[in-house]
Amino acid sequence: MNERTRAQTGAAREGPLFSWVSACTTFRQTASSFARVRLAAPGLPTGRPGQFVLVRPAGTALLPRAFSVFDADPGEVELFVKADGVLRRQLFEGTIGERFEVRGPYGVPFSDVIDPGRRYMLVGGGCGIAPLRRFADVYPGRVAATVYGFRTAEVEGLLSGVHLVTEENGGEMAHERARAVWRPGMGVLACGPEPMLREVARAFRGAPDVYVSLECRIGCGIGACRGCSILTTRGMRRVCRDGPLFAAEEVPWLI
Amino acid sequence: MADLTAQCGSAVLRTPIVLASGPSGFGAELLRGAALAGVGAVTTKTLTPTARGGNPQPRLVDAPAGVLNSVGLENPGLESFLQNELPGLRELPAAIVVSMTANDPAEIGRMAMRLSGELCVAAIELNLSCPNVSGRPAGDDPVLVGRFVRAAVDCGSKPVLAKLAGDRGDVRVPGEAALTAGAAGLTLINSVRGVRIDRRTGRPLFHRVFGGLSGPAILPIALARVYEARLAFPDALIVGTGGVTDLGGLLEMLFAGADLVGIGFGVMGTPRLAGELAAELDRWLADHGIVRAAELVSAAHRGGIGVPVGIAALNR
Repeated sequence: MNERTRAQTGAAREGPLFSWVSACTTFRQTASSFARVRLAAPGLPTGRPGQFVLVRPAGTALLPRAFSVFDADPGEVELFVKADGVLRRQLFEGTIGERFEVRGPYGVPFSDVIDPGRRYMLVGGGCGIAPLRRFADVYPGRVAATVYGFRTAEVEGLLSGVHLVTEENGGEMAHERARAVWRPGMGVLACGPEPMLREVARAFRGAPDVYVSLECRIGCGIGACRGCSILTTRGMRRVCRDGPLFAAEEVPWLI
Repeated sequence: MADLTAQCGSAVLRTPIVLASGPSGFGAELLRGAALAGVGAVTTKTLTPTARGGNPQPRLVDAPAGVLNSVGLENPGLESFLQNELPGLRELPAAIVVSMTANDPAEIGRMAMRLSGELCVAAIELNLSCPNVSGRPAGDDPVLVGRFVRAAVDCGSKPVLAKLAGDRGDVRVPGEAALTAGAAGLTLINSVRGVRIDRRTGRPLFHRVFGGLSGPAILPIALARVYEARLAFPDALIVGTGGVTDLGGLLEMLFAGADLVGIGFGVMGTPRLAGELAAELDRWLADHGIVRAAELVSAAHRGGIGVPVGIAALNR
């Protein structure tokens, strides 16, 4: 599928869902602490790269967790999960067919925020690779380079065809490699743990089109509760509704 | 179809289900998602005289059976709300309750006066118990409660609800002060003060240390406050809020004495919860041969359901 058709089909112009959709795990591939988990979620819009979904176990009234979408097809969503926390462990270890609820997708797609004329270096750390991997899949022509960092090489089997930067092999971290890979003219799209985002924002301070996708404990997911508000140079902004992608210079506290 | 209507001041609400102040924002977000089915009234996030940014992240921390929040009254200020948010809410199929707070009664009076001309505003809820801002909440001091309520009642034209804490002193003391000062009713309860500490670092997770606990964990606490307040104030309008996430909790809150039932945490997880609850309540009433939802109110004070309403009224 070429970039245009893929972008169009992936960009089904349906609005996000405000109701829960029943979902169940259909496929899982695990490494020692990360997994790709695919959920069948009939009726869930596929959304576009950069968006996230909320997931919780079926039959609870508890607050869901936000996950960036790693891959999506009509009625199916794939997450890249680290095995920590109760829900994530349930996704990681539970039986195939285990039931969850999903709603979304929420957040502004990356392509609505970034300069479409530029090509980007994608810098991901840990689970932060999920939206970048999807972005690269849907818009290969907008990707100048990828730098995906992990502590160990355990995830190599989960991310075939992708070169990884692992701390245990060579001791290099994603932001360090990113500095070496970046060339003038490239934009930067970064997603990962806050210390990594901080290093990336520092390293490319002043460069044009440097964006960070922020993670936050999301409450409602639809911009109402202000549980994920952050201070930016444009005032208070909500990670769930105004983000998750922000220009690095908008979040100076990150640096 | 049973009669789900409920009274809030002079307004007749479609259902007794109220979106509690906070998780529903200022209403516009839910309006976009058409998530207002089953909602009797929408309570705005608390407004202050001028804009507030609120607290830094983290603002939400998980707790067993709930969540602690430290949002800190982020809001655009009353004037900005009136100009930018309220016009979009005028067409809502639900009543609007404006939640507000200020540092002193004079400011409350000015805010209440400013809302007097807004026909779509059914009531004012005075947030006298936010656990997430500095200083002692006004709700702790019955004299202050009386002054704040009096200011809103005297300067404005809307029914006033005083929102009180679930965890501080005897609710009858500030409750009495509010009602004596002219409040139409009480909203019980606010989130309950709590703390969580990072187990790796030993440091409190919130910058302000304390947060407000909401969710199923606080349902029994809210029920106790509502029950106690209903005993003490048989004629007051009571909005029971705290931990209701399903039909069972909704029924318990009505039985305990709430005329209206707030949902907050539950809406955060399930934006369309009100619609689900209204449909379930309707079915439940039909199954029990009860015509009006209002008949359930205070059932726990009169020996449970099945007791004729006329006798219940005598018991009050």
